[in-house]
Amino acid sequence: MSKSKKTEKKEITEKKKYSRRDFLTIGGAVVAADVLIATTPARVATAAPEVASYPASKGYLVYDSKKCIGCTTCMLSCSLVHYGEQNLSLSRIQIIQDSFGKFPDDIKIAVCRQCVTPPCVINCPVGAAFVDTENGNVRRIDQEKCIGCQKCLEMCPQQPHRVVWNHYIGKSSKCDLCIDTPYWNEKGDQKETEGYDVNLRNEHWLNLGLVENSTIVPPMYKNKPSFKVPPKPKAKAKS
Amino acid sequence: MKGGYTGKILRVNLTDKSIGTIPTEKYLEFGGGHGMGSAIFFDLVGDQLPFEAFDPRNLIILMASPFSGTSTPGSGRCDVQGLGPMLYPIEWFGHSNFGGRFTAQLKFAGWDGIVVEGASDKPCWINIVNDKVTIESADGIWGMDTWDTQEEIARRVIPSLKHGEWAEVDDDNYTTQVPAVVCCGPAGETKSRLGALLQGPGSQAALCGFGGVFGSKNLKAISAIGTGSVPIADPKAFMETRLWYRQFQWDVDNPREGDRFISGMYRVSAGAPSGGNVTNGQIPLVPARASACASCPRGCRMRLASGDSNESVCAGTMAFGGFGGGGNLKTTRKNNDLMQKYGFGHWQLIPTKNYLKSLYDRGLAGKGKKIECDLPLDQWDSPAFPDMLMEAMATRRGIGNDLTEGAARFAKKYGLYEDDLKNGRLRLTYWGTSDHYDARIEVEWGYGSLLGERDLMLHMMANYPLHWMAWSGDPFLTAEQAAKLYTDAMVPYNGDEFMADYSEKGIYTDSKVKAVAWVKHYEKFWIGAGGFCGWRWPICITCTTEDRRGPTPEGEPRFWNAVTGQNLSFADAMEIGHKIYTLDRSIWVLQGRHRNMEVFPDYIYDQPAMGSEMPMYIDGKWKYDAGRGRKLDRDKFEDWKTRFYKFEGYNPENGWPTRNTLEGMGLKRVADTMESKGRLG
Repeated sequence: MSKSKKTEKKEITEKKKYSRRDFLTIGGAVVAADVLIATTPARVATAAPEVASYPASKGYLVYDSKKCIGCTTCMLSCSLVHYGEQNLSLSRIQIIQDSFGKFPDDIKIAVCRQCVTPPCVINCPVGAAFVDTENGNVRRIDQEKCIGCQKCLEMCPQQPHRVVWNHYIGKSSKCDLCIDTPYWNEKGDQKETEGYDVNLRNEHWLNLGLVENSTIVPPMYKNKPSFKVPPKPKAKAKS
Repeated sequence: MKGGYTGKILRVNLTDKSIGTIPTEKYLEFGGGHGMGSAIFFDLVGDQLPFEAFDPRNLIILMASPFSGTSTPGSGRCDVQGLGPMLYPIEWFGHSNFGGRFTAQLKFAGWDGIVVEGASDKPCWINIVNDKVTIESADGIWGMDTWDTQEEIARRVIPSLKHGEWAEVDDDNYTTQVPAVVCCGPAGETKSRLGALLQGPGSQAALCGFGGVFGSKNLKAISAIGTGSVPIADPKAFMETRLWYRQFQWDVDNPREGDRFISGMYRVSAGAPSGGNVTNGQIPLVPARASACASCPRGCRMRLASGDSNESVCAGTMAFGGFGGGGNLKTTRKNNDLMQKYGFGHWQLIPTKNYLKSLYDRGLAGKGKKIECDLPLDQWDSPAFPDMLMEAMATRRGIGNDLTEGAARFAKKYGLYEDDLKNGRLRLTYWGTSDHYDARIEVEWGYGSLLGERDLMLHMMANYPLHWMAWSGDPFLTAEQAAKLYTDAMVPYNGDEFMADYSEKGIYTDSKVKAVAWVKHYEKFWIGAGGFCGWRWPICITCTTEDRRGPTPEGEPRFWNAVTGQNLSFADAMEIGHKIYTLDRSIWVLQGRHRNMEVFPDYIYDQPAMGSEMPMYIDGKWKYDAGRGRKLDRDKFEDWKTRFYKFEGYNPENGWPTRNTLEGMGLKRVADTMESKGRLG
């Protein structure tokens, strides 16, 4: 029996009440990802029989697109900590902007949604794309196993696709929520920390100046502190 | 070279269409950016000087820095160099820089800079796609405004590019980014001396008239897109430094907080969004986002929901404030955009149009007047007038043909230059560039400009931190605190608080000699060679930290060493800055510079200053004071100059660098050339 139009409208309204951040906040990542996929102009949204076997990722990058200033610091930092060099094309975050465009459509922020039904994982012919159950169920790509067939790029339902092609080695990569960051001193504590929210680590990205969760509150904005001129460093005369 | 550099500089000869490279390593001693550009200019054409800016022998050099393409905050400016046709009375070897995304894409494409020689017989543009470089025909582009030019060239570079999609740049290399195009507008095509270079809607290389140099070479644009990497010597140290820097950023959770202060210091020092875009700063007429150049966490520009005056800042947006529409912000934004599209440099358009208005008010310009003018000057306040004015200038039609030569040459043609400069009606304080901050009060700005080749245009030296903080009426530091804290950061001269004394006595002291030397050396290395933004660096004091100390002098070398793998101290870098300044000065000397020319217009000595709040040490106490009514003393300033020349290693009789100084810096070849021309100090 088909749903009445009233019922359908009510369901749609209920869905619209939630922002992306709300989904995370209430732990409704499953619902969030479903809605995101359903509302994205997907090329392919594969619903494989084994869909239920994928545990939902405990987090994915969130952002406030209206706060983004387009500095691309997050992109460059992403490639830096993963590859040790700065490269926009290797970044798993893509900030796409039109300087001549009109706010807020001048910027599009493309980050991996860590799909509940991850087409990249489902369609990988060699099992290189996998759900990392030891690290918050983040969807990852094992570089050792990847054969460079680009199936994951083709199957990603997002535009632009969130799986990134590494042209240097001919393999795919994707956002791992900074689990494997060999060029960053801060890493590796998820495995030992029970109940660790993977998303928390990524405040580092978001604090780099573009979006949210800043912990920086300039003292001047609070009560003005008493001020003392700090000790003078030893003067260096020019020889 | 461990990191920061790509290893090669592009060399394009438009006359014979040859494309080559210069190894970056050859010029490593100059750091990068401006330093390398100056050395390349000297090596390629130094012995042929003097010649004119529109001579095909002139070079147009666009340099990136080791920081370009990295996430070093507030870096990535593109330094443009060459003989500047706007400068007066001699077209000095000048520089102007612009932000946006150009140097980042240039580095990703694999280039540390571009040197353009010669002149094309037909309109052309240079296409850089990774390591593939071609000279393309500008058919169908020549004549376009700067915005359409960028859009059309991006379409030609990547025909498949769609906003929000990956596009294949070349074989198996993909990007979501738009090619970064720097171009001249119709003004540059007609060799206007006010012609700017544009990147994006509002990032200008405004000074020196380099748009006109592009035009003289039949060069419409340079486009760069790359998919490569910028190597970082120590990625972990770099990431740690970048995260350390967050304490100096604005409060992203409360971005409007900075706006509760009416003036610059708080907003600028905290880097608050909308700190610079005055066209939308008064009333939130339309929603907007703070917008940044590549890698900058400040975001001083805006992109508006209306899409007009995007990424225009400060002088750009003020050029037509209260003019053509009488202060209507919407009209102001519209005329700002026209200026950007025609490709006029804002900072020289302002005094030119203001001077025309003053001539009209004095009854000297207009129909049937001494200066016959075919523009309807009686419609000055009409919203349509700015377009009429700029169209005439860009096409060199009627009076526009004279105006587009710039205010100095315009006045000279009509026999008004000497008198009007003397009496201050024509306020071109520094080499034909406009009055800016008061040379009698904010002397490191005034002296630093005069001892350079154009207006200093570096707000974050002492201007914002000291003047604007005091001017706000609610300074967060006392004058004594400000002076001590600021000068503590001025390595290697730190510890002398009187470098920040702007009193009647303080502006002629040996401390001020050191302060101006510090400004020039910082300008040449960290701003010039490092590509830092002068609206962001240095940060000697800030309102964002508990102790009010900014990242200077710790941050600069931390970033530099992490990126390059070098072991450079702040003081080391300042020595290289001294070397670059000396090299620039040597080029000016070869063009005719002499200390007798380094004097201000008479009005600076003869007319009282309006004043400008700064820290001053008066009667044994520090205080904020404006110095209102002050005149610069000719003899004291000349004596100050003598001490400055000696301090820098130049002959005080003529201001020319000596052989000892040059050879001590490893510039023997420069000394030899100068001696052969009879110009050694």
